Amino acid sequence: MADERTMAHPVEDSVPQVDNAVAVGEDLAFQHRWWRFEKGIWIFFGLILLADALGVFGRGLLAKAERRAADGTMWVKYERVERANTPSIMTIHFDPSAVHNGTVRLFVSESVVKQLGAQRVIPQPQSSTLSADGVTYSFLTSGGASTVEIALEPSFAGVQDFRVQVEGAAAVRGRVAVVP
Amino acid sequence: MYTLIHAAMGYFLLLLIVRVLTRRPGAQMTQFEFVIVFLIGGVIILSTVGNDRSVTNCTCAVMLVGLLHRSVTWLKAKSPRLGAIIDGTPLVLMKHGEWQEEVMQGMKVAPEDVMAAARARGIRSVEQIDYAVLERNGAISVIKKEDTAA
Repeated sequence: MADERTMAHPVEDSVPQVDNAVAVGEDLAFQHRWWRFEKGIWIFFGLILLADALGVFGRGLLAKAERRAADGTMWVKYERVERANTPSIMTIHFDPSAVHNGTVRLFVSESVVKQLGAQRVIPQPQSSTLSADGVTYSFLTSGGASTVEIALEPSFAGVQDFRVQVEGAAAVRGRVAVVP
Repeated sequence: MYTLIHAAMGYFLLLLIVRVLTRRPGAQMTQFEFVIVFLIGGVIILSTVGNDRSVTNCTCAVMLVGLLHRSVTWLKAKSPRLGAIIDGTPLVLMKHGEWQEEVMQGMKVAPEDVMAAARARGIRSVEQIDYAVLERNGAISVIKKEDTAA
């Protein structure tokens, strides 16, 4: 039975030979195409690294963004490109006109708290009030310009629109792309 | 779920990078190349498991990489073209005692690498070599000239 099988499928040297002498299986035409592909892929990697260094994928010059409220009550510095599971800081500067009765009331949209993963607010607010579309923080201030920082750490990739606003003043809207 | 996606992406990214690093990581690995292998592996593992370092997560990631590797091996066996893309093809470095300069430069192989393989076969000088072939696994096979004494 085994002999029949051997007879039915005789051994053949299917590997292409070099000079009809050595069975190597070389494919130089394929290799030339592969070298061209390699060159292309290293150029592509180089461009990716350059984009990364510039901040296209976050944590660089191009990722930094700044928005000012139309009425000048506040301006916000944030990163327009964030990385998932990587901390960053959103800084909110208040103009003295944002202070009423020694208090600044800051509304931040739900996307800042949930999708962009607000971990903590510095300084700690005097109070936090939940609403349907976000949270309003109250900060005591002695007057003059002041700054609040929100530590962000988004968990998932995606594009998130956000809104921050001093109560009763013009809002600052922005968009953050979170890369994996 | 995300760990599985990251593990699959990491596997194929490593496959591509190791492939385009030319064929030296493998049988011709030197201490210099160990740096690459360990560093790349160490960096990929960070993004693969993320913050979830549980036994469940890591075990599932390892199982997925094993499954992917087995599937790719099966596909390579089914398709010689895919095998050539993933592993490359053997390349002749020396033919009838003549260096194949284009291949040597393209694969960044030095004559010293060929002579190292030749010495392992008891060949003392380059004049005794008839054929030298860079194999798919990075090893160099050397065939001695028939009229040359060992």
